[in-house]
Amino acid sequence: MSTSVKVKTITMREAIVEALHEEMERDEKTVLFGEDVGKFGGINAITRGLYEKFGGKRVFDTPIAETTIVGAALGMAITGLRPIPELQFGDFVGIAFDEVFNKLGKWRFMHGGQMEVPVTLRLPVGIAGGAGPEHSQSPQALFMHAPGVKIAIPSTPYDAKGMLKTAIRDNNAVLFFEHKLLYAMKGEVPEEEYLIPLGKADVKKEGKDVTIIATALQVQTSLEAAEKLAKLGVEAEVVDPRTLAPLDMETILQSVRKTGRVLIVHEEPKTGGCGAEIAAQISEQALFDLQAPIKRIGSPDVPIAQSIYLEQFYRPSEDQIIEAVKELMEY
Amino acid sequence: MAEIYQKEIDLKKYSKEELTRYYREMVKIRKFDEHLIRLMMEGKVSGFYHSGIGSESVSVGSITNILRDEDYIYYNHRGCNQKIAKGVPLSKIYGDFLGTVEGTTRGLGAGIVHSADPSRGVLGQCGTIGSQFNIAVGTAYSAKIQNTDRVTLVYFGDGAASREPLHGSLNWAGLYKLPIVYICENNGYAISSTTEETHSVREHIADWAWGYGIPNCVVDGNDVLLMRECVSEAVERAKRGEGPTFIEAKTFRHRGHFEGDTYDYVDPEVLKYWKEHKDPIKNFKKLVIENGICTENDLLNVEEQLELEILQAIKKAEEASLPSPERIYEGLFA
Repeated sequence: MSTSVKVKTITMREAIVEALHEEMERDEKTVLFGEDVGKFGGINAITRGLYEKFGGKRVFDTPIAETTIVGAALGMAITGLRPIPELQFGDFVGIAFDEVFNKLGKWRFMHGGQMEVPVTLRLPVGIAGGAGPEHSQSPQALFMHAPGVKIAIPSTPYDAKGMLKTAIRDNNAVLFFEHKLLYAMKGEVPEEEYLIPLGKADVKKEGKDVTIIATALQVQTSLEAAEKLAKLGVEAEVVDPRTLAPLDMETILQSVRKTGRVLIVHEEPKTGGCGAEIAAQISEQALFDLQAPIKRIGSPDVPIAQSIYLEQFYRPSEDQIIEAVKELMEY
Repeated sequence: MAEIYQKEIDLKKYSKEELTRYYREMVKIRKFDEHLIRLMMEGKVSGFYHSGIGSESVSVGSITNILRDEDYIYYNHRGCNQKIAKGVPLSKIYGDFLGTVEGTTRGLGAGIVHSADPSRGVLGQCGTIGSQFNIAVGTAYSAKIQNTDRVTLVYFGDGAASREPLHGSLNWAGLYKLPIVYICENNGYAISSTTEETHSVREHIADWAWGYGIPNCVVDGNDVLLMRECVSEAVERAKRGEGPTFIEAKTFRHRGHFEGDTYDYVDPEVLKYWKEHKDPIKNFKKLVIENGICTENDLLNVEEQLELEILQAIKKAEEASLPSPERIYEGLFA
């Protein structure tokens, strides 16, 4: 961030809360709802103060009914509101799968492009302390297979705020995935209003030897690993796609062509995770720029154990990243 | 528990013009349907069509002279009935079936589902049957929060009523007192399964609404005027901010679930009874002629005029071009 911009250091939670407050203030058509998002302020304390500020009509608690939450959001969106529903855990998207997969992304298209669907669906994801197999998943890759939705997945407070504000203003459905362990992470955010476009990847750290492509919490893990690698004489470049749809292949390919080595890191099961698609696209478009096979680190292809001790083995670690990079450097 | 809606219909309350309009709308729907089936026979349209013959009164009785363009509907699986009653131009609906650019989707093709005409409040329909229940409460919430008196009507069959979203939707509608009218077009069959085989209810599907504190009733859907009286009360209640209503309209289908359906799961005697004694158009025609409101000739004129109108609509839809292959890349994002 340039020194001329006035900045403050806040958590990603605070950044998201700020984005919601600012956008709800800006546009009276915004409506926010979900389970316990009202007076309680959300189980992750993301909707704090909104009920008090905007009242019970624009900020309301819903019954436990994910299907209705997402379906209603679509109905509101096509009739002039700008709904911001929350699913308490991203895993619950399975309950509303029809509404997300078949409706949010397709309604506009299949009805001839005659309606707009400005829904921003917030979904907390990720392994975060013994929450178990149905409260710890990262299902975002499922929707890379669903034309018509945009997928945002920020890794810093700065990105979270700027991208959420853009998502809310977007006239299309945006699935906004937030890693629960990032909520407490601090970072610099400008005092002034700013927006980050969707579909623009960010090079979080430059390097010439290897490209590490990571999302959400794994961006932070990769940055830490990159620091250690630097001490070993390996300059890793860390690229955060920030949105999985649209996917900014231009920035990714630019980095791949520079380094010739690729490691993709994510917390999703390795099979069919977003890395599978990114790797396929790289091999289609830059195979002969590669000096080594593309490597992926994902979670193992088994449900996430509830045990706090065991769950750490699902989360890609610094050590795994360092080892994988070392292997790549041997080619 | 759900009461059977009964009302003495005072024909004098209605002008000749209004009554003729109900006749006209019902015949328009039937003729649309018959001509579409003809186009199917001619191989121009695929067989994915759910004929609405036999229940035209459910749609006309709940839309014509009740709903305004700004009121919203989500139509059901026999939804051409409702689209036509809501005023979507026939050429546009035929265009969707024929896949030409005249269609509401400009060539993407749409049949019973996915035609839309937002300017007339026709907001579309779900291919996953019954998923419109949730979308409809969103629309109703939208009208309420924007301080309009727009009403949302959500149509569905007895089959769709077994989908879980109905209950999520009824809970929201009752809880937030939303301006929404549920119209269950109960024709007795979900493809081949009867209502009794697939629903755990006390007696009627409308009984469910009672549990959510939502006013409800069962009405003879084949009596267009009774249907009209019943729905206009519900719509007025919604406009006054008094919340949702659930109406179960009893009817029957003259044809199978889809064209090509053998329809042999229905007792031919039962079908014969409905065709002979409960045909909404035949009965209405008899009513207005016997009461000296219209002459046979008046109604014949209406029919002839409609025939012409429909042939013109088909011509317009058929003469429009097929979309270019690029069409599939248009309109995904706003």
